[in-house]
Amino acid sequence: MKVVNLVAAVKAEKCRGCKTCERVCPVLAIKVVDRKAVVDADRCRGCAACEQRCPDYAITMIKREQPVVVRVDVGAVDYVKIEELCRRAKLHPEQIICYCTATRAEEVAAAILQGARSPEDVSFQTGARTGCKVECIQPILRLLEAAGIEPSPPKGGWQWYGRTPTVWEIPEEVKKKYASRGFYFEEDIKLLDRVVAAPLQGRSDT
Amino acid sequence: MRPPIPPIPPRQSQYGIDPSLVKRRVSELPGMTSVLLKELFPDLPEVIYPGEQGVAAVRKATEEALQKVDMSMIKPEHSVNILASHHGFTLLGGEPYAEMLKTLKDVIQARTGCKNIRLRAGVGLRFRETEEYIKRYGLDKHFEGKAIGVAPIDEGIPIETEIGTLYGIKKIYDADWIVHAHNSDVREVHFHRQVDRAVKPFGMSYARIETRSTYHQNLGPRAANFTARAIFDSPFVQSKFAFASFLTVAPNGIMGVDADNDLYALNDRITILGCRYYGKMMTLFGEIDECIAALDFPCPVVYVFAAGVIYANFAGANTDLYDLDMPLPAYTWYTESFYGKRGRPLLQEIPPLNPAIKMCVHNYAWTGYPSAFFSEHIPTVVVGQEQAELFNRDPQNLTYMKHAVVAETTETAMEFAYKATGTRKVLIFDGAIGGINLSEPLAEFLLKKAPQVNERVENELLPKWLRQRGVDLSVLRKCAS
Repeated sequence: MKVVNLVAAVKAEKCRGCKTCERVCPVLAIKVVDRKAVVDADRCRGCAACEQRCPDYAITMIKREQPVVVRVDVGAVDYVKIEELCRRAKLHPEQIICYCTATRAEEVAAAILQGARSPEDVSFQTGARTGCKVECIQPILRLLEAAGIEPSPPKGGWQWYGRTPTVWEIPEEVKKKYASRGFYFEEDIKLLDRVVAAPLQGRSDT
Repeated sequence: MRPPIPPIPPRQSQYGIDPSLVKRRVSELPGMTSVLLKELFPDLPEVIYPGEQGVAAVRKATEEALQKVDMSMIKPEHSVNILASHHGFTLLGGEPYAEMLKTLKDVIQARTGCKNIRLRAGVGLRFRETEEYIKRYGLDKHFEGKAIGVAPIDEGIPIETEIGTLYGIKKIYDADWIVHAHNSDVREVHFHRQVDRAVKPFGMSYARIETRSTYHQNLGPRAANFTARAIFDSPFVQSKFAFASFLTVAPNGIMGVDADNDLYALNDRITILGCRYYGKMMTLFGEIDECIAALDFPCPVVYVFAAGVIYANFAGANTDLYDLDMPLPAYTWYTESFYGKRGRPLLQEIPPLNPAIKMCVHNYAWTGYPSAFFSEHIPTVVVGQEQAELFNRDPQNLTYMKHAVVAETTETAMEFAYKATGTRKVLIFDGAIGGINLSEPLAEFLLKKAPQVNERVENELLPKWLRQRGVDLSVLRKCAS
């Protein structure tokens, strides 16, 4: 869940149409049309990725008159299915996967079970990955994969490139090779497995 | 008691309030004093900065350290990227790190004849932070326009590693050679646990979002930093790596510069420094039974400094951050993610945030890092409506103020904290150089505790910490002698 209180605004006279904004937007809310960036205010989730990377300082973030609440109703989906999907992705349903918006795995799972097919869909519907834009791409990709979805990165974009290894997939020879250097692979697997299997605290959002 | 040490001044930045709005520093309030770190731990090293020669000492130390480095692989027609990170610019005002970067460029050019030397400066979660530093320290001029900030959402490049494909930032690697210019300050020890500290930027400030998310979500709290080693050891990165140059830092200042073609040899040396000197400070802070934490430094909430220890570390000082047998510190992103919907940890053994912190007075700290976990679990008073409003506009901190209250002035914030907590012990995170600014009762407390902490770290904890990291104890004995 995220309360979106900002929206990107383009200073057309400064924009040179380089498309950097288009390539970094996690919800595909900005596009270059006729060599000028154009914001779809309804799609914008106020993350400021475009504003922070524009080489010409042509974008500012302005306060929305009416903040928009973005959320997926977890209660609208069979929770057994949410739980199954999260645990298949080796995530606890109540685990926070986006530290900026405090979005939990269950909300992303609910979005996927209701039709989200890409990280862009997930971010647009839940607000996850529209804070720092950095740390939560992998659990989103893991949940999509666990649902049997293989999304493709936006063409020509830099939004994301691919899922990366998890600790469960580290080759045995690598674990052995570095065991004496302070990397506790097996111990961390046990810890994470226990988190995944931990009981739920509560099903309601209240 | 000594007077307080002048704190690091507020900085003009898009991530913080205007410096003119910082009307009062916490150290200026009645009852505040300072303790020199050498009074606490007399065996802390001698430092070259701060010192009489200023940053000239850093230039000299960099030149001397580079004498033993092989640069023969760099030819006049080649290109070189000097890789920097935002963190270095937060150390002791930032000038020492900027000076090391400038010296690196000058020495490489003089020794090799190579003129195409660029600065690529990575960031954390504030994507324009190093752009600000590049201008502030004149690095754009020194690098003749070839100095840029890079961010983890910039164009990426796949890197094949022994655990699979990870991703780096393309502009980090777009030269024939890379030079890793960093520092040994421990900072996020809760994340890297002093395991491969020297290698970490390859999995962080030089890396794309996919890699950083691998670190913080896929590998686990004690395996996380393997992300960096996997990238650094990849044939691609090894084919470009020339050497590393580090400011060696202790809680009381810059010890010198260490440079090496072998990053792992350098890593072992700084592991010892990090465990010994910072380990003592953190263990001492872990002894504090109750206090008010005052944030007063130009950095995000988690990164404000006192004696080289950041607030995020103090929030976990109720546990031994260096002990790898302890899986989860009280604060890491893994820990934060393992709090369920009822606001309780999903596993019983997950420790709470340091219960000694009775209240946090946020006098001056920046946005640009998700910090709501702190205000949610530690009573927090933010000084000034402007600062509160800045946090409300930060996409990473939209709920920080949901859990905090606002005071009009530093004085009223502290009065409230004193009354509400009943403690007069105050620890100020304001970057005071060479010492700590704090209240008199806490100064007395720390001076009394320090000798026994010193003995415990030297005799009991340090050997264990180094053993856990596979660092040869004979290196430690050699250092000691």
